[in-house]
Amino acid sequence: MSASAETAEQPQAVRAHRRGAGIASYGGFIPAIVLFGLFFLVPLAIIVCYSFWETIDYSVVHHWTLDNYRYFFSVSAYVTTMWSTLWVAIVATAIAIGLAFPFAYWLSRYVPQWLRLPLLVLVIVPFWTSYLLRVYSWLTILGEKGVLNRFLQWAGITHHPLGVFLYDRPAVILVLIYLYFPFGALTLYSSIERFDWNQLRAAMDLGASPLKAIFRILVPQIMPGIVTAVIFVFIPILGEYLTPQIVGGTGGVMIGNLIVNFFQAAEYTRGAAVSLLIALFIVGLLALFRKSLSTADAYGA
Amino acid sequence: MAREVEVLSRRARVARVLLSTYAMLIYVFLFAPIVLLVLFSFNANRYGTFPITGWTLTWYRQAFTDYQVHDAVSTTLKVALQVTLISTVVGTAAAFPLVRSTLRFRSGIRIFFILPIMIPGLLIGVSLLVLFTSTFHWKLSPETAVIGQAVYTTPFVILLVAARLQAFDRSLERAAADLGANNFQTLRRVVMPLIFPAVIAGALFAFTLSLDEFIITYFLIGGHNTLPIFIYTQVKFGITPEVNAVASMLLAASLLILGLAFALPVVVRAVRRAVLRARTA
Repeated sequence: MSASAETAEQPQAVRAHRRGAGIASYGGFIPAIVLFGLFFLVPLAIIVCYSFWETIDYSVVHHWTLDNYRYFFSVSAYVTTMWSTLWVAIVATAIAIGLAFPFAYWLSRYVPQWLRLPLLVLVIVPFWTSYLLRVYSWLTILGEKGVLNRFLQWAGITHHPLGVFLYDRPAVILVLIYLYFPFGALTLYSSIERFDWNQLRAAMDLGASPLKAIFRILVPQIMPGIVTAVIFVFIPILGEYLTPQIVGGTGGVMIGNLIVNFFQAAEYTRGAAVSLLIALFIVGLLALFRKSLSTADAYGA
Repeated sequence: MAREVEVLSRRARVARVLLSTYAMLIYVFLFAPIVLLVLFSFNANRYGTFPITGWTLTWYRQAFTDYQVHDAVSTTLKVALQVTLISTVVGTAAAFPLVRSTLRFRSGIRIFFILPIMIPGLLIGVSLLVLFTSTFHWKLSPETAVIGQAVYTTPFVILLVAARLQAFDRSLERAAADLGANNFQTLRRVVMPLIFPAVIAGALFAFTLSLDEFIITYFLIGGHNTLPIFIYTQVKFGITPEVNAVASMLLAASLLILGLAFALPVVVRAVRRAVLRARTA
């Protein structure tokens, strides 16, 4: 009797066990879904709504309109800022990746295996230190009393400190390159590392010049890596606020500064419209390059 | 033929020298600003720049006695601890089903979890600002900043722990079950010890990210200061060696904790191996 009860109970226990395993295997999502749902998706949804609502007398009225977008595109300074943000992002990305490519090539071709990881970590170290401090540290170099001016005065090239290094677009581009170079180098290295160098040797044996071999054999093969590097440098630059704020002056204003200005002036609906424009642009880029991004784990430290 | 090989190798040698020089310059470019920052924090010159007129700890002493710095440090630590706790628990819990469940929309969930680090922090900041102040009518405080930072740090914990789980040999769990362990026992005695280094690394990571986070905190913390916010408000009045000193300490803290995050898994593994060897011997 007891034996049969036991055998009857067995499948039930197994089933209960399985059900438990089911809950256990999905239950882990619940806290994350609450966190990201309530404090990431919901606020984004609110931003979407706000961008189509009106502000009347400092209060938001739930009246659907395209006025916020129309307003943004009607002020020429804003449109100029949008284009210059794109321009800064393109130039900084191009230079950062251009600098990162020879570096990654050197690291994977000329550096002995045992030294590669330490040297790579050394590139990433600044990246994991405070972002604010890395921007701030450039003030000590480019400022009027900065290292660069001291050097120029010491060398007798100029007698008065020059103010031209800071507070304009070139300073913004320089600091952005500095900030995002490690991203580019890391991503490019991880794809060049897998390249079979015999192919390059074969191409040169067949008469190709080294540069030709690099651009015809190596570059096409690591294209997905290059695309990933470009995306991962380009996208965060679009949302930059601190760099133009600290080193940019009036000439270096980017769209992130516009957004902050709108929100600090409590013009939430207008700020929301600009935020949504950037967010859509970024999500569009990500969707467009989803394929080449899915193969790369750019955050894998 | 022999000459051709020689020419080629000479060319390769030139390329190697050129590229090595180039790489060295890159390292100078990457580290010069940070090194100078630290250097000037010990410089007696009170403009925080060259020339070096002598070495001093005055600026550190000043920073230590500044009540604003005290305030900022304690807020920063309080926020960082809460953020670390939330993101480690939430992130670790989410990593399990992300790697192990057989849901059809798993890759979609993965993208959803990683989205907060793909979207500029600025947008997280302003959208939460609207949620907290206009929708919930909450007062901004260090706690609202904690929520904002947790949205941004949790994905990193998920990625780290998920990577570890991916490499996890599941036959160990089956073996534990065969030997009579229940789910909880298997989790506590087999799974957790093995993924523990990744969880700790994730926690340390979250802690550093929180220490250094600026933009989300800037929007959500209200009248309070964390160290990065304090530094930012000071930068408006120009660089001072005192700010350099605060910045250097923040830098040292980040590097120390990151070093721990990378070293700890290695140490844990080494200790475990030593213990095992001692036991079997």
